[in-house]
Amino acid sequence: MDLSCKSIYNNLDDIVKGNTIDISECTFIHPWVVIYICQLLIERHTFRDKGIILPEKNETLEYLKRIHFDKALKYLGYDKECKELETKVVNERENHNVQELLYCQFRDYFNARLDRFFRMFSNFGLEENQARLVVALVGELGNNVYDHNSGNWPTDIGGCFISGQNYPKNGCMEFVIGDPGIGFLGSLKTNYPYLEDDISAIKLGLSGKTGRVDEKRGNGLKFIQNWTLNKFSGSILIHSGSGQVYVDEKGTENKIAPKITGTIIQIMLNYTG
Amino acid sequence: MKLEMKKFGLILNSRPAGREAVLRVKQIANGTTDNELIFDFTGVEVLTPSFADEFFTGVKNEYKDKKIVIENYSKNTVIEDVLRGLGLI
Repeated sequence: MDLSCKSIYNNLDDIVKGNTIDISECTFIHPWVVIYICQLLIERHTFRDKGIILPEKNETLEYLKRIHFDKALKYLGYDKECKELETKVVNERENHNVQELLYCQFRDYFNARLDRFFRMFSNFGLEENQARLVVALVGELGNNVYDHNSGNWPTDIGGCFISGQNYPKNGCMEFVIGDPGIGFLGSLKTNYPYLEDDISAIKLGLSGKTGRVDEKRGNGLKFIQNWTLNKFSGSILIHSGSGQVYVDEKGTENKIAPKITGTIIQIMLNYTG
Repeated sequence: MKLEMKKFGLILNSRPAGREAVLRVKQIANGTTDNELIFDFTGVEVLTPSFADEFFTGVKNEYKDKKIVIENYSKNTVIEDVLRGLGLI
């Protein structure tokens, strides 16, 4: 079972078995899916019967170890599965194009890592100004997580998970950031009470209106969209609540998706090294 | 009066950091009789829209009688884009 940002939705019935997440049949796992699974684990982390069945295929298990998925499991209280993954030994230097899964509970953790991202993107082969743009993109996405959720996290898990991968043969890179927060609708509804669904809220955010109550500002997501489309011919995929919006140079597509707590945003960037 | 933005950090990110920087500007520029405040971006790597919005909105509100000048940003695509996008240059 290959799990990508598209196929995960078709396979959810096989993966989500009550409070157990079963990815035993998984043979390929996309960064988007890693973050999606983190969201599913967060939603279930207080249940006694929670669990995750890890992939049987050795390569997939090694990939999860390589991105330090075991640390996420440990933090979220999946101790048994964490120990199972911890026993795997992989060479940390084997793949420079894989970004380890990062958890930033607070804004300071996130900000402290931006410098590291800058060096990492430069190592991916991005030229200086491109690396700066990607850091600004990531920085702005992280800002939104904390600006819109601080003090208002729906569960006792706050912050964001970040995952990424470079695909040098295709000259593109993927960056995914997920947070178990109140989502676009939860944040914007107070300032725009007419909003009725997640898709409308995401679209409003993309139009540049992300200001909260008593704020005239909010252009961050518009910058993110402009940079992604115009500087990198890339795409943005946003899943928030039960809405999903995909934006690329051709236009916007939206659909209803299975409800999640919070938001996942994927940025795909094409670059010339 | 000239302020070197790199002294606030090389990656200028987040609204709280922008607000904090405005408070620092008030300390540094306290009592200045210069007619203009010059913000020099030499050495800064990244400027995010959140920081820029918070910082320049705060500075403009604080120094309505002074001319705000921004310089040495043109070699950096991010800084130039952000400043232009916010209508600051």
